[in-house]
Amino acid sequence: MSTPYRLWEIQERSNTGPQCDEDEFLSKIFSPTLQKIVKKYEIKYNPKTPVPADDDLADRVWKAGWELFQEVGLYNTDTHRIIKVSDDEIKEALYVAKDQYWVGAGKDAVLWKHRKIEDREPPFCLFSPDCTCSEELHYSMCLAYLKEPLLDGFCAPILEDSIGLKIRSGSPFEINACTQHIYNLRLAAKQVGRPGVFLVAVGTAEHDSGQIAVSNENWGVRTTDSRLIGTLTEFKTADTLLNRVVHCAQYGCYVGNLTGPIYGGWCGGSEGVAVTLVAYSLNGLCIHGAIYNLHFPFHLNLASNTTRELLWPIAVAGQAMARNSKLLYKSGGYTNAGPMTEMVFYEAACHALVSTVNSWHLWEIGAARNKHRNRTTPLEARIAMEVGHAVAGQGMTREEANDIALRLLSIYEEQAATAPLGKEYQECYDVATALPTQEHFDMYRKIKDELSNMGIEFLY
Amino acid sequence: MSIAKLCHAVETGSKKEAEDIARDLLNQNINIQETADQLTSTMQKIGDRFARLEIFLPGMMESAQTMTLAMNILGSKILESTSKGEYASKKAGKVVLGTVKGDLHEIGKNIVKLMLEANNFEVKDLGYDVDSMQFIKEAEAVGADFIAASSLMTTTMPHQKEIIDLLKDRDLRDKYKVVIGGAPTSQEWADRIGADLYCPDAGSSSKLMAALLQRK
Repeated sequence: MSTPYRLWEIQERSNTGPQCDEDEFLSKIFSPTLQKIVKKYEIKYNPKTPVPADDDLADRVWKAGWELFQEVGLYNTDTHRIIKVSDDEIKEALYVAKDQYWVGAGKDAVLWKHRKIEDREPPFCLFSPDCTCSEELHYSMCLAYLKEPLLDGFCAPILEDSIGLKIRSGSPFEINACTQHIYNLRLAAKQVGRPGVFLVAVGTAEHDSGQIAVSNENWGVRTTDSRLIGTLTEFKTADTLLNRVVHCAQYGCYVGNLTGPIYGGWCGGSEGVAVTLVAYSLNGLCIHGAIYNLHFPFHLNLASNTTRELLWPIAVAGQAMARNSKLLYKSGGYTNAGPMTEMVFYEAACHALVSTVNSWHLWEIGAARNKHRNRTTPLEARIAMEVGHAVAGQGMTREEANDIALRLLSIYEEQAATAPLGKEYQECYDVATALPTQEHFDMYRKIKDELSNMGIEFLY
Repeated sequence: MSIAKLCHAVETGSKKEAEDIARDLLNQNINIQETADQLTSTMQKIGDRFARLEIFLPGMMESAQTMTLAMNILGSKILESTSKGEYASKKAGKVVLGTVKGDLHEIGKNIVKLMLEANNFEVKDLGYDVDSMQFIKEAEAVGADFIAASSLMTTTMPHQKEIIDLLKDRDLRDKYKVVIGGAPTSQEWADRIGADLYCPDAGSSSKLMAALLQRK
């Protein structure tokens, strides 16, 4: 918790902030304010340069994001009031925030540090399949991901059923499923020899009751682990989300701020998404008390973020935050294609390349638009993390990243809307050993060699 | 002032201009049926442009609000023409729409609403976190053709099934077309729970629902 000193002063603003009809918040406050600010700071998207190297643009996006957050605030749908934060409070929170945290426990603890643009320090690699999975595959998938060499932290796939029963949010079934989720996760971590690994858990909990039920140092989510606290699109919250802020602060675990601004939605185009990403980061810091942000901007129609209209805001917002803050922020990837397709590897590589060079840490990767049960494997995440380590290690510049991104985009971008769904986990992994099939591994290896020929200097 | 200019004002979301033109048209001997048809056609084109993301949600919303303002001003003329039998509203269908219980996400549902209204559907929006029984009660109250339920979370999807189960148990299943959508849903899920229609995205919802109603 980075801002516990104002926990209750901020919470109280749900009761005392300016009132607003929910129907009017987005159309009359958020959207016009964002449009006005984008215009004021002359922020202009250029599709020819998905990775711009324009420091002045980055600084304008930072100022715009700050202004957006300060002017709009966060709307509480339960009280119909807006939580607002002052200029001084933002400055104070940015000053007090640490630029590094030890996360995880014992020998598995990792020092997670703020990165700069073109930083040679590798990104913190959080593997996260994000999608839902069958109950009988959940443990195997946890094992498979936890076997990944570059893994610094893990967020497991989400259960849809528990003891054969469909999970319903807010019900006893959800609490039961959350218990199963964390037990699987902790056992898998112990079995692979990473008992203290940093976990972000539990994704199965949509409701606050499910999250709170599994806070336990011995068998559940520990204080060395993290919880994500989301925002409703865009800049709205509810008591069920704010309950988590208070619980996490008092329990003492790390908080991540989870946001997914939508390209084509209330944010408008790429410019609006970039500004919103910065504004959300300040919201996470000041209102959620987050030590890090997980941003996954996505396309309204495609529900992915590997096309250029999403890569541009990722690049620009990363630069904005790197140049003007010491915050920690993760770039969450969503591909169009599914597992065991060549396209998914290209998309994952491009997302990681653009994110890493522009100062982000990695959260990889939701395959097949994160929409289809069991359609995720560690290998597409592995290639993303290996790209992240490679481009950091070689000190890749934004200009070089732009060139490679354009080459990768030329391979897959036209197929974004018709991307292949690929295969399910159990079709490309041995469920018992939690290892990839030879066919799957060979495809990964082939694409890795092609990426190497494009100028990505893999470390092994 | 012409209907074409009014349509252009709707297209550009120019509210003041649209209101001025609409007031001016009130004093002219316009054919209200033709005016309504042209405005509807304009909104359909705007909806199609939004579905291709040539314009974004705020732009679509501006146009929809401008259209509403114009239609409100023309309201007295519409009533007059309706009573004379010169104008008949051509509603494509009645929809009770909402995001299911426990789910606070609503952007997809709101876009579906805009797209449906742009295509002449009458929509009763129940908001989000809507109890399954409320969908049914509202459908009964307004005489709906469709119950449309959105879910953005895997753990709230069971409420889409719950609506269908309740309809069956109350002997109302055949009375309504149940439409589902939302990020984690799929055709497979729709088939499994016995929904009448799965909408893969907001942009296609109005066309798919209109086609389903025609097959009735």
